Amino acid sequence: MAVGVVTRASPMPYDRTITEASLIEPMAMMMARWRALSFTGVLNFEGWTIPHGEISPGIWGEGYDDRRHPHTLFHEMILSLTGGVAPGVRASLSAGKGFAPYGTDDPMNRPALLYPVNHHWSQVMERAVLIGGVQSGRVTLEGGLFNGDEPVGPFSWPVIRGRFGDSWSARALVRAARGVEVQVSHASVKSPEYRYPPAGPTHDKWSASARYERPTATGHAYAMVEWARNSELSGTYVYYTALVDAELLRNRQRPYLRLERTDRPEEDRLLDPFRSQRPSLENSILGISRWWIATAGYGYRLRATGIRLEPLAEVSLAHVVMVTPGTVFTPQQHFGGDNILTLSLAIRIGAGMPMHRMGRYGVLADQGEPMAMGANRMGE
Amino acid sequence: MTPRAAVATSAATLLALAACGGGHATTSPPPPDTVALVASVPIPANYGIHDQFVRDGLDFVCAWNTGLLIYDVGNGVAGGSPEHPVLVSSLVTSTDGVQGGAQVHNAWWFWNPVTNEKRYLFIGQEGPASIGLSSQGDIHVVDVSDLSHPVEVAFYHMAPVNGQTAGTHNFWVDEAHQILYAAYYNGGVIALDISGTLSGDLASREIARIRPGGDGNTYVWGVMLAGGSLYATDMVSGFWQLKLVDSAFTVLGGGNNVPERFGSDQWVAGSYAYSGTWGGVARNGVPGNALKIWSLGPGGAPTLVDSIVTHDIGTVSDVEVTADDQVLMFGAEGGAGNGVYFYSLAADPSHPSLLAWYGVPTGIHTATFATIAGRRYVFAAKDPPSPAMLVLDVTGLAP
Repeated sequence: MAVGVVTRASPMPYDRTITEASLIEPMAMMMARWRALSFTGVLNFEGWTIPHGEISPGIWGEGYDDRRHPHTLFHEMILSLTGGVAPGVRASLSAGKGFAPYGTDDPMNRPALLYPVNHHWSQVMERAVLIGGVQSGRVTLEGGLFNGDEPVGPFSWPVIRGRFGDSWSARALVRAARGVEVQVSHASVKSPEYRYPPAGPTHDKWSASARYERPTATGHAYAMVEWARNSELSGTYVYYTALVDAELLRNRQRPYLRLERTDRPEEDRLLDPFRSQRPSLENSILGISRWWIATAGYGYRLRATGIRLEPLAEVSLAHVVMVTPGTVFTPQQHFGGDNILTLSLAIRIGAGMPMHRMGRYGVLADQGEPMAMGANRMGE
Repeated sequence: MTPRAAVATSAATLLALAACGGGHATTSPPPPDTVALVASVPIPANYGIHDQFVRDGLDFVCAWNTGLLIYDVGNGVAGGSPEHPVLVSSLVTSTDGVQGGAQVHNAWWFWNPVTNEKRYLFIGQEGPASIGLSSQGDIHVVDVSDLSHPVEVAFYHMAPVNGQTAGTHNFWVDEAHQILYAAYYNGGVIALDISGTLSGDLASREIARIRPGGDGNTYVWGVMLAGGSLYATDMVSGFWQLKLVDSAFTVLGGGNNVPERFGSDQWVAGSYAYSGTWGGVARNGVPGNALKIWSLGPGGAPTLVDSIVTHDIGTVSDVEVTADDQVLMFGAEGGAGNGVYFYSLAADPSHPSLLAWYGVPTGIHTATFATIAGRRYVFAAKDPPSPAMLVLDVTGLAP
């Protein structure tokens, strides 16, 4: 699959209007199963198509600001062994490169085109992971070990020696009712932004969410609400996020909405205002900004022979305020204003198998849930 | 005269100045053969190396959470030289409860002319900060009378100012009068009595403090004593001339004079001063790529006379002039022109002329001159991800 998109955002740093065309999320997916073994693989080619990132006001992480970083070539490569261990109890062991058992779905699995600001608060991904899972009835428990370092480029690999196992996470997920799942998770991520040695602060993370997804007579309905907290340096810096996602697929029409309130660290920029220093030289920041963003979009699904197409339009309005007024960073100085409008026109193209829910391995991927019902996965 | 860069209000204007051959708007020249790298000593990538204080052939390397590293670079105590620095000892100072660790940032080895002791080393701890608003980190005092066994003996901690924590940054020591001046970011500037024996909490040693820009307008990067005045660069409110009179600071001149950029480091040489600018975030769209040149009047008050704008850098990270006032040097970070820049002050110190650029792609955080065995060196702090102490022989760099 891939998405061709033209995005216009204003104001961007230095009071500029930026209009940019890019090919995002070019990916190839593979799933295979043999007896108790299963394999999930996702190749992501953004390292070639958006090496400088995708314009996206508010997004940050991996040394990018207001541009979403490209994901790594091997986005997900997980081998799982799953089986029953007692009557009504199943267990799994998963290993490879992928998502730690923490937080909510990859934004690529969700309705909106542009990523939410909270991507680095609500997912921990592209790590070398070892995950154990147990499922009984409606409850699934997972625990994982992984390397804390985040990727430093689209072709980087996790640091195994000296870093694997320095971070951990655990998630409890309950299928509260048909189509409803609730999760609470915690992660301790050591020095994600200082690769080796792990000299940076540990991120202490909490996430809670409730997700609803049900088929309807003409498509499906989806909604998700999440909350997350990220604390660094024992509470010196604390960031919160709250987000609501929803979409309704009715025949070919797919309107969707996202509301978000997310805090982000403002970090030392390089001469390029879309890039920040990695690794950091010190523990200082330019302050904490809070992003209130409303995003609405509309997609219309088409189907040609063997190809799925979805033209879509998305509009996003962000209002930025400082949680820490008085620092050297103000949205008025940096952007030229505190209201940022983003418009995107895109066409999503898919063929072959639909996109699976990424980050769900072993017992969590194997509970008979529909594999293709994700909001953005065009699997219908 | 109208300072060229002072009228620039946007990056576009600066580019236009460069295109028009606007005097001191520069881009990076090729590296010269008169600057020779003679040593590169890896420093643990524990946030790396921030600053160095070189005196009497000893290099006090401030290596963040690796702590203080003392190198013999020509002293002879351990057989080291600039070409072959030899580690003498190390010390991780206490955290004092500041999150993030020892965060050893800067140092000053105090030679006390009254007691003839060379006993104390002052260390600045740079803790977490929200730049412009708050900061953290104490002054630590280390007894280095036995260089092979440095021992921490005292500290100074500033209580929160207007509800915001305050931490230290760069120092200057008036050795004759046994007074340490410390920049304290949002805490302004303090003067500490460092006479006699130092032990424990030095809170009672505070002589004076000042927040030159006032509330919401004070975030002091560095201080330097020259000609009886204490010059201070404030990231927010510009370049100040202060003076300690009895037990109080007085503002003599300057201030609120770099409105288009954030300030960084400084150096005073003769009747001129040079101050850098910081570009961790552009101020009104203008990056921190300027070096401000100040003429000091008869009373020492600064008047801006020119600026050097280097287009492919983001921050002027450190500024220093040789003891003979002939060569100006500044470090650069944040852009393709990262490295160390050398300018001649010989012909006209108000309009320095470019001598050389030594490029370091990851950036230079600080750099300092030292003369050892008759040769002039620069000890530079190379930024992560592969931090190192770089030693450059610049003896052949003719002003």
